Amino acid sequence: MSYAYLFKYIIIGDTGVGKSCLLLQFTDKRFQPVHDLTIGVEFGARMITIDSKQIKLQIWDTAGQEAFRSITRSYYRGAAGALLVYDITRRETFNHLTTWLDDARQHSNSNMVIMLIGNKSDLESRREVKKEEGEAFAREHGLVFMETSAKTAANVEEAFINTAKEIYEKIQEGVFDINNEANGIKIGPQHSPTNPSLPGATGSSGSQGGGCC
Amino acid sequence: MEYFRSGLKSVLGAPPPDQQITGAETVERLVSRVSTSTLLEDRRDACRALKALSKKYRVEVGAHSMDVLKQVLELDRSDCEIIGYCLDTLCNITSKEPFEDENESTLPVNINIGEQFTEMFIKNTENVALVLNFLEEYDFRVRWPAVKLLTSLLANKPKEIQDIILVSPMGVSKLMDLLSESREVIRNDALLLLINLTKSNANIQKIVAFENAFDRLFEVITSEGLTEGGIVVEDCLILMLNLLKNNTSNINFFNEGSYVQKIYPMLILPANIEEIGWSPQKVSNMHCVLQLIRTLVNPNNPVHIITACQKSIRNANILEALCNVLMASGVPADILTETINTVAEIIRGNLTNQEYFANVMAPSTPPRPAIVVLLLSMVNEKQPFQLRCAVLYCFECFVYKNEIGQGQIIQTLLPSSLGTADVTTGQLLCGGLFSNDSLSNWFSAVSLSHCLIDNPAQKEQLLRVMIATNLGTQAVSLLQQNVTYLQQSNRLQSKIGILMLLSMWLAQCQQAVQIFLNISGAMAFLTAQTSASEYDNNEELIQGICAFIMGLCVVFNDNSVQNYSKENLSHLIEKRVGIETYCKKLNEISRHEVYAKAAKQPQVLARHSSDLLLEFEFCKLFKSFEGVIINALGVQRDLHNGISELSLSEHENALLLQYKELIRDQDKKLQDLQKAFTNSQREKDMLKNELEELRQGNSQLNDQNTLLKAQLAANSNSIQTLDNVASPLVESISTAVPYISKNANEEEKQKLIQDLQETKEELDRLRKDQEDLLELLTDQDCKMNVLKNRLRELGEEVDDDSENGSNSENEL
Ligand SMILES: Nc1nc2c(ncn2[C@@H]2O[C@H](COP(=O)(O)OP(=O)(O)O)[C@@H](O)[C@H]2O)c(=O)[nH]1
Ligand SMILES: [Mg+2]
Repeated sequence: MSYAYLFKYIIIGDTGVGKSCLLLQFTDKRFQPVHDLTIGVEFGARMITIDSKQIKLQIWDTAGQEAFRSITRSYYRGAAGALLVYDITRRETFNHLTTWLDDARQHSNSNMVIMLIGNKSDLESRREVKKEEGEAFAREHGLVFMETSAKTAANVEEAFINTAKEIYEKIQEGVFDINNEANGIKIGPQHSPTNPSLPGATGSSGSQGGGCC
Repeated sequence: MEYFRSGLKSVLGAPPPDQQITGAETVERLVSRVSTSTLLEDRRDACRALKALSKKYRVEVGAHSMDVLKQVLELDRSDCEIIGYCLDTLCNITSKEPFEDENESTLPVNINIGEQFTEMFIKNTENVALVLNFLEEYDFRVRWPAVKLLTSLLANKPKEIQDIILVSPMGVSKLMDLLSESREVIRNDALLLLINLTKSNANIQKIVAFENAFDRLFEVITSEGLTEGGIVVEDCLILMLNLLKNNTSNINFFNEGSYVQKIYPMLILPANIEEIGWSPQKVSNMHCVLQLIRTLVNPNNPVHIITACQKSIRNANILEALCNVLMASGVPADILTETINTVAEIIRGNLTNQEYFANVMAPSTPPRPAIVVLLLSMVNEKQPFQLRCAVLYCFECFVYKNEIGQGQIIQTLLPSSLGTADVTTGQLLCGGLFSNDSLSNWFSAVSLSHCLIDNPAQKEQLLRVMIATNLGTQAVSLLQQNVTYLQQSNRLQSKIGILMLLSMWLAQCQQAVQIFLNISGAMAFLTAQTSASEYDNNEELIQGICAFIMGLCVVFNDNSVQNYSKENLSHLIEKRVGIETYCKKLNEISRHEVYAKAAKQPQVLARHSSDLLLEFEFCKLFKSFEGVIINALGVQRDLHNGISELSLSEHENALLLQYKELIRDQDKKLQDLQKAFTNSQREKDMLKNELEELRQGNSQLNDQNTLLKAQLAANSNSIQTLDNVASPLVESISTAVPYISKNANEEEKQKLIQDLQETKEELDRLRKDQEDLLELLTDQDCKMNVLKNRLRELGEEVDDDSENGSNSENEL
């Protein structure tokens, strides 16, 4: 239960690119082949380890809200990380990236880490967007990039974990004000807020048994 | 708007007491002062006066000052005092409640003034954004009334305000920040505002939770003294309840975010609780805490959520704390009842929690298991009805999906364990089953039936149970005693309870059916009930369940009792009851209103004890075997030639069921389509309105355009004339100049030059005017085109006379 840090993420991108599936694959390690709106995985959480520290990820899926971007906007400010997802088999989802990015940049805190994700990499035969294009877009806008498949789980772990690493590094560099919860970062209950970068500070010896996740 | 004007006219027009005239006039004068005065101080005074009048002369102030108030909010935003007056005034005129000294005698009672003014104010959503921005102003005079105004607007137009706040970036976060306000009155009002804002809007609930609401709220609760705290604690808990109720995403977040642990301290009763007692506020707070826990483990939540929450609740020692509340003395009955219901849902279907509960001991002498103590209350007439219902629910949850627990209870009834010193669960239930209190009979029957759910082994075990009815007489089997009781009793509630127990017992248990068929008089009783043609007062339920039990005897019949083999029984039903009648009786059950009520949720909910007739698990059983029974009887088709459903072949029957299914499906589709249709209709109406507005706008623009054209034409004419005048003048001047210089008539020359100058200026001015007008014209034309396109998009025919405009332009 105990964690060193808690990061809040949001997942954004056009409808149908696989946001909910990515979350489900990451938290439950399973894939839902049918587009089932009733599963309602709108929030998910999981513990990961970085630099031998326990980090809790809380992830909000903006499912079904693409039509109401203004609602999604309410989530930007309080998030430390965002996964911006497009579908490599549908070019228009790639074309919409700039709109999403503008929106995110405008409403988030400037340090929010954005990870660009080209999802459905398992559907090579139906690919419409080249990997190089994704890379180029990411380079141009200063994003981290990765192609994933929520179906085969390829790179899904990495996508979430690399985003966390990036945030973690920013904390080490002192870029993030970790005492301001509005940044989407919380310090674990047993961890001193004053010297967050102290390596291996008081470990993660939870008071409670039965770890979750 | 119109409404008000006329309303106001009547206020002013009717022969009124002088005072009213003065009031309305004063308001008008003040409004004009606010809008025209250049001095801030004057405007401020006027606003202060408006505020003072805004209760008594609410209609007048509302009708006249809305626009100037908005204007002040925009232009004078840096002056906290005047903004405060403005917000207060708006707050008063939009108030949902009438004021005591309000002058409303001349208004029809049924119009809600506050709502009408709210509508006017929020028509422009910018106004709401404006008020939201004032939340960021620290000054008390601004922040507090801003909160109050939002509360008032929300009370009048909840849906609209929710939608506006939802899409205004940071709208929710601004409100959330108020929970950390050090000035309590603002924080508390913000809390109330958030409670109303989050009502039945999942999107807002999610954002509020995302904005760390649970952290903030637990901070407030802790600082206010947990459940010992005042109404603020209750408000915090109500807000949490709003965020969690039916919101799976938030429940998941609450559980994952380890907030469950923070509930624990609120359940600890102080050591001296018996001395200090339970204040009404403490009772309310505690109620909310219990509701909060129940929301997490509500049986209607997705199973994986329930399981996860049940686990964290146990790990946070909350189950333990609740059991301590159960065992404490002096706990008010309604808190005790709700605690039992809460424990019920925490253990429901969760083996670990059920085992924990099984081992909880009550501090009685001798110490008894908590479950025994609870059952003692259930079969005790003197206990409050709701408490007894809660115990039943708790017992049901204790044995729900708990084969071991079910077995242990039945075990206490078997010969081997009889004769133990203390009272057991089984004894209590058997005692209750045949006691003189029909409610105890019903509770006990339902409890026993729950020990049999999906558990064939226990159904057989229960057949071995013998009970002694009277001292000295021979013991009879429990099954036999049930039948005897049915034959002798005339208590509706008890009989229904026992019939439901029999249904559960016989279903899927051929051995029980066999023994049952051998009990003399059993079948005769059922046949008589099922074939009875008259009934009063809910007896149709008894007859229906009897028919159901007969059906179960057909379905789970191993043909070992010759007189009542499958075939003979079917024959009996057909000959003695009649297929039509039989089906009708069976149908009575699911058609009955108590069926619909009971089938809704596992918890037994009733106001009065007489309302308790059918029960949730029985309804489930009925639903799953009704079709099977009809099918089974259908197989015996060759036995009769009726034309009822039962005379159909198996194939036909299957077909019939298919059709029934189809009809249900289509029914649902029809409903969906109807809903969609209503929506489309609404949309269509909206579009029609929009179209109408656009049309009006268009015709206005047309008029303006015509006007402009006319002016343009007039200008061109005058320019022409001026040109005509000017050219000979210029000519004459040019000829005159040498002459003038020759004659050196300075004065004359000067004058002419001046004339010329003036004419030129006049010409320039007109030219410029013309240019302006042209520009305006082009502008209007553009607008017209846009509107026309929009009209075309909306499917409207548009006459294309726009050429006129461009033509006249070309001509010039
Ligand atoms: N082949 C394949 N299909 C995927 C993948 N991710 C999602 N899908 C499918 O794409 C559809 C939309 O996925 P969903 O997660 O609901 O998209 P969302 O609207 O962005 O949340 C579903 O039918 C998924 O089964 C993937 O990586 N590979
Ligand atoms: Mg989705």
